[in-house]
Amino acid sequence: MPRKSTTQTRSPLLPLPLVERLLSAAMSRGADFAEVYVERNTSTAAMLDEGSIKSAQSGSVTGVGVRAIRGAQVGYAYSDDLDEPALLRTAQTAALIADGNREPGPVNMSRTPLPTYYQVRTPLASIDVARKIELLQQADAAARSYDKRVKQVTGAYADQTREILVANTLGHLAEDRQDLCRLSVQCVAFGKKGERRTGFYGGGGRVDFRFFEDFSPQQVGREAARQAVATLGAVPAPSGPQTVVLAPGWSGILLHEAVGHGLEADFIRKGTSLFAGKLGENVASELVTVIDDGTVSGGRGSINVDDEGNPGERKVLIENGVLKGYLYDHLNAKLTGQRSTGSGRRQSFRYAPMPRMTNTYLAPGDQTPEEIVGGVAKGLYCRQFGGGQVDISNGNFVFEISEAYLIEKGEITKPVKGAMLIGVGPEALKNVSAVGSDASHDPGLGTCGKDGQAVPVGVGLPTVRIDNVTVGGTGA
Amino acid sequence: MNLLDTCELLVKLARKAGAAEAEAYAERTRDASVRVRDGEVEELHQASSKGIGLRVICAQRLGFTYGTDLSKDGLKKLAENAVALAKGAAKDKANGLPRGAELGAKDAGEYDPAIEEISPEWKLTAAREAEKAARAEDPRVRKFDSTGAGDFLSQSAIASSHGARGESRASYVYVYCSPVAEADGQLQTASWSDTRRKLANLQPPEEVGRTAAKRAARMLGARKPKSQRVPVVFDPQMAAGFIGGISTAVNGLLVHKKSSFLGALLGKQVASRNVTLIDDATLAHGIATRPFDGEGVASRRTAVVENGILRSFLYDATTARKAKAKSTSSASRAWASLPSIGTSNFYLQAGAQKPEEIIKGVQNGLYVTAMLGRGADPVTGDYSRGANGIWIENGELAYPVQEVTVSGNLLEMLKGIDAVGDDLDFRASTAAPTIRFAELVVSGA
Repeated sequence: MPRKSTTQTRSPLLPLPLVERLLSAAMSRGADFAEVYVERNTSTAAMLDEGSIKSAQSGSVTGVGVRAIRGAQVGYAYSDDLDEPALLRTAQTAALIADGNREPGPVNMSRTPLPTYYQVRTPLASIDVARKIELLQQADAAARSYDKRVKQVTGAYADQTREILVANTLGHLAEDRQDLCRLSVQCVAFGKKGERRTGFYGGGGRVDFRFFEDFSPQQVGREAARQAVATLGAVPAPSGPQTVVLAPGWSGILLHEAVGHGLEADFIRKGTSLFAGKLGENVASELVTVIDDGTVSGGRGSINVDDEGNPGERKVLIENGVLKGYLYDHLNAKLTGQRSTGSGRRQSFRYAPMPRMTNTYLAPGDQTPEEIVGGVAKGLYCRQFGGGQVDISNGNFVFEISEAYLIEKGEITKPVKGAMLIGVGPEALKNVSAVGSDASHDPGLGTCGKDGQAVPVGVGLPTVRIDNVTVGGTGA
Repeated sequence: MNLLDTCELLVKLARKAGAAEAEAYAERTRDASVRVRDGEVEELHQASSKGIGLRVICAQRLGFTYGTDLSKDGLKKLAENAVALAKGAAKDKANGLPRGAELGAKDAGEYDPAIEEISPEWKLTAAREAEKAARAEDPRVRKFDSTGAGDFLSQSAIASSHGARGESRASYVYVYCSPVAEADGQLQTASWSDTRRKLANLQPPEEVGRTAAKRAARMLGARKPKSQRVPVVFDPQMAAGFIGGISTAVNGLLVHKKSSFLGALLGKQVASRNVTLIDDATLAHGIATRPFDGEGVASRRTAVVENGILRSFLYDATTARKAKAKSTSSASRAWASLPSIGTSNFYLQAGAQKPEEIIKGVQNGLYVTAMLGRGADPVTGDYSRGANGIWIENGELAYPVQEVTVSGNLLEMLKGIDAVGDDLDFRASTAAPTIRFAELVVSGA
């Protein structure tokens, strides 16, 4: 259950009377909506390479973005200069989207009370950097001692404490502190005749630093090393259509690419997504229920409030194969007579928000993973995954497999390398023929890019079987 | 205070805080853009921004801080934090700023004051023209993902305790169009854009719109071909993507860590004889042309592969010291991050064949015009990417195809390039002409 946030005691990022003056200035030429977004982002990072801490770094960036909307038209300007004249100039620049003149009325803002889905008590920025460095050293030692063939280990720790204030002319005022951390390790294992394989693992989320007591750096290092060593001696992946079984967790990137992006309301409004106009239609196998949930406790993609001041939500996008809804930000919701689903996100104050995913996952089914693998006579078992990409219009998506094995007569056998899955979103989801009971979220690694903006996201998938998927590989 | 003075002040403050070596890099940018939809403004965007980063070395330990507060108090905080952070890093005798003869500048004059003067109306008109031309090109183009135009100006400065001192300015103007063509329930999109350092060199916006529309419309009716091994032709954009993948494997740090598939092959034949890859930060009108790199080392031209022979890796100062090599002026930089090795203008030298001739030479094969996924793995040398394009039959572009992957081994692919086109155009910092691979695995139905 979400906890209610305590009464605000800190002073706001920008004095509220100034925020009101900026809103008025942004409305001064006849816009019908204006918004002020203030952000302070303090981050720390450390890098480990070749057995030692290569660098420790930190920084802080503060800025204000002002958006004015008239109909479907948006004016956007930002400033990292926080003195009043500079901010007023910024608001006036955004106001230029409208070309009239108007005496804006006063804006009465009231704070939106927010639940909290984060598990962070102590801001990550206030944790001593020496403790963050220690995580890397422990992960490095664990990876190296896993196997002699692990010769290169690169580790990265990064965290941020991002404070935001969003205010708009509808009277909403929301403030949130979004801490986020991530520990990751990459290993290279060296085999015979110059063969190299890589492994990558890590995790984090909107969690307290104590998270790493359970999700230990040793575990992260060992898993990265295991992946690299496990695929040494792998033969080229067989190419062409085949049955694949996806291991649980990070495989959820499949949903993110195959359907998630295509359900973002900007593409729907412009009619450029193949899912436009298909509400109520069957777009997937009836085993498929897809949820985008900004309220997952401690999730990397979780948000108490989106970057437009609307609370994070749990949305059922596809239910038993039927398309149920899209992901809306303020603008696209307003233009199409819908309500925002709390999906308006942005990379920073330098960008206007757009509809984005949060944590996207597949609801579990009722088969055990063993039953699913056991039922495949010949296929590919995909255990670890790289990134993916989608073309929204024709629905083509790809999805990189970093650790895969052949399935022969219901058994997982030889490792294969260089595999990639390609498909068309709805077709691939119609071919889902088994869904496991092992519901699972990724460990907190994902970053999604859209139109040059990166935002943290989560994904999740139980063990899943998909028939007739094209696998790209160089093998026969 | 101007940027260079701010950098020098920060270096002074860092020395005072206890840094043995200090280097400040600052940037100020202005960007303004217009996006249109159905001839109307969809978004007007305008902003200026600034920031500064500080690298310090204290007793061979590296610390880094950055921020947007350029006041004296703000700078003082950066200096003190950087020195404190360095204490947490390990001693590394390779840490050190470039100095002496390495430093300097080669000014290619890639700043166009005319771009400063571009009005919002000019951008609006350019974007409208691109959108209108795309519509007029093909009746099946009625939707757009986005169409727009913009300009970007930047000013950067660097100063160090060991002699780096420089200022540089850059200007860019661009037009882009991403139409969506529709027929029989299928949607196909394509993007086309033109970015130039000088306003006079910009392609007419109509041409950008027309090209984008043609590329989207010709994909309508795309089907999935059978899996097979065939000759594959990459158009210039896809070929640029391919050599971009190769560029990550010549990164000196990856090589030093024995983690590049090209690492042990210096001086060896790694590609067919018609492959010459150049990294050139001094290229006239190049998108990435600059007077010096991200740590003040004077720009230069480096032949990475010459007639198929691997000649050089790319280094920044720190990695060069480790590898007992010289910096190739390859430090990429943004104010909020430490320098890292990257390319400047990286390109595959043009060959003699016309792209049409290259296609004509294929009986049965694939012409790739769009790709999905990252593709190249510089560590293992594996390559696999999603591809869309046109199937080639008897030397002619026959019908559109999609939902396939092309796969290979990067070293075998480089050696298997059997044709290089004459159509090299520096549209982006990484550029290549049309290329043909003798045979790749195409996976489809």
